[in-house]
Amino acid sequence: MTPSNVPALSVVVPMYNEEESVGPLVEALRAALAGHPSWELVLVDDGSRDGTAGVAESLATKDARIVVLRLARNYGQTQAMQAGFDRARGGIVVSMDGDLQNDPRDIPLLVAKLEEGYDLVAGYRMNRQDKVVTRKIPSWVANRIIIRLTGVHIRDNGCSLKAYRRELLDKLHLYSDMHRFLPALAAATANARIAEVPVRHHARKFGVSKYGLSRIAKLLADLLTIRMIATFRESPLVMFGLGALSSGVIATGFFAAWLLSVMQRIASTGATHVIDYVLPGSALLCIALAAFLMMLGLIAEGALQKVRAEEQLERLEPGAVYG
Amino acid sequence: MTGIATRERSGAVHTRVETRSDVSVIVTVVERPEPLDALYREYASALDSCGRSYEFIFVAHPFFHDMLEPLHALQREGARVRVIESPRSIGETALLRRALAEARGDLVVTVPAYRQVQPSALCELLAAVEDGADLAVARRWPRLDSRVNRLQHLALHLTAGGLANGTLHDIACGVRAARRTVLQDIPLYGDFARFLPLLAIYNGYNVAEVASPQHASDLPRRIYRPGVYVRRLIDILGLYFLLRFTEKPLRFFGLIGAVLAGTGGIALAVMFVQRLFGDPLGDRPLLLLAVLLTVLGVQAIALGLVGEMIVHFNASRRRSYRLREPSVPNAASPESPQLSS
Repeated sequence: MTPSNVPALSVVVPMYNEEESVGPLVEALRAALAGHPSWELVLVDDGSRDGTAGVAESLATKDARIVVLRLARNYGQTQAMQAGFDRARGGIVVSMDGDLQNDPRDIPLLVAKLEEGYDLVAGYRMNRQDKVVTRKIPSWVANRIIIRLTGVHIRDNGCSLKAYRRELLDKLHLYSDMHRFLPALAAATANARIAEVPVRHHARKFGVSKYGLSRIAKLLADLLTIRMIATFRESPLVMFGLGALSSGVIATGFFAAWLLSVMQRIASTGATHVIDYVLPGSALLCIALAAFLMMLGLIAEGALQKVRAEEQLERLEPGAVYG
Repeated sequence: MTGIATRERSGAVHTRVETRSDVSVIVTVVERPEPLDALYREYASALDSCGRSYEFIFVAHPFFHDMLEPLHALQREGARVRVIESPRSIGETALLRRALAEARGDLVVTVPAYRQVQPSALCELLAAVEDGADLAVARRWPRLDSRVNRLQHLALHLTAGGLANGTLHDIACGVRAARRTVLQDIPLYGDFARFLPLLAIYNGYNVAEVASPQHASDLPRRIYRPGVYVRRLIDILGLYFLLRFTEKPLRFFGLIGAVLAGTGGIALAVMFVQRLFGDPLGDRPLLLLAVLLTVLGVQAIALGLVGEMIVHFNASRRRSYRLREPSVPNAASPESPQLSS
């Protein structure tokens, strides 16, 4: 591989225990990209326990366009993708699954769409070849929730086959399980222009699926995060201020209820002294929460001030300058 | 001190064939030290018996500086011993890092200032590292010590053991060997030196365990001050969070918050419905509890959100994956991103 010869297109494929799939995948990619002038394939072995890394490395020694990265342990798909993105040199980067369920023949379609002027092109699976109960229904529900909470209309967030511009990936940093929400994250934090293209989908030939069914709680936590970042990235203090305000309103409600009930009792029984600790106590707890949220907001504002300032500077688009 | 080591390297004293890599033995003197010259002699003769060339680095907390006196006598005899007296009261991790910066051997053995396993374990650990382990840790086995000690061992493994994915059986054993570069790369800070193998596993290093019979001086019953146990517990909690949730704080705080706020919310809803049918709220102390639970839950979730924000805005500066060293020379570039600490 000559270092000066930077490929135009990088294909990133995270793999975990896919030793049977590596060979056919590379074959299919070579065939699909035969017409493409310069491409590289970044195979990321995510700490596989089988022979995936060995097979991939032996292929890499025969073909200089193939790069193999081996993660030190099994970090998960998000980290594997980020590792591949960090290594990929192409101006256009395509990610896809390593299990042969995506079809490399769709890559040129995605790239063509990207070149129409988008930053991210997501594939959505036509005629999805998966089990209905354990895969399709949870996926449908998850996609509904994602669209609802993020406002980004991506029909199929679970499809790994996507194309990105290098500049977009430089602005995104994946951690935790965020790869699934990459389009939402891209739209929320980088104002990405996003398009969708239908892609083929094949049934799994080798190996077993690496997903389980019980992911809804994690999904919700991640979505809450994205929602918060999308809405309040410019001003965390506002978010916590709003929380404090609503807590204060509830406290006022409790106080009002207390006054009302005291006055009612005085009016109905004629007592001069009414003891009720519960309602004012509840009000005070809500005031404590409001104070806590305000302080938390200040801490967040202060702790992140420097990072956010730097990040905003990075984000400044090189636009027109007048005067 | 440096002069002594140089004389050794030139072969004036040391006549053994130097085919093996140098070993630096780091002794951190932070608790229950035994006579250090005897410790040196015991470990040195074990290393002699497996044909290693070595240097010893003793690094001591200020509290134990008078223990170092016999070592200066050893130095005068020509032993390869270096002594670092920390001027300030710093923890074991900082002492270890300080000593690592001084270490010259390709292989490093760390031992506490007391004997836990038979000295021959050092040779087995070094062999395990040369066989491909990134870090080799000794396991005191079979255990011969008192029931009280074993109970504490059990308690440690019930709390922290889960973080090791069942691969480690003696986290508290401080006798460990590794390549120096590996030890320098593992992000160590705070009080986590004692949990080094757990951090190594988390960062994708290959950790091997070597069983060695327990040393006679490790057998007596040990009971610490209550504060020590409290600190260990806090350490383990911190480690658990660090290894499991650093990148996803909302999953930790969100779960706690959802349980608290959920319970409180259900109680509130029930009481408000009952209020519609006439039970005045002011007479029900349960209302206070329900509001308290909800408030705590919201606080936990808010903390989790702040955590997520910090992670998000710092994500560009850190990479949490680590690449394995390429086994095929042209297979991957050596630019392996480091976990920032």
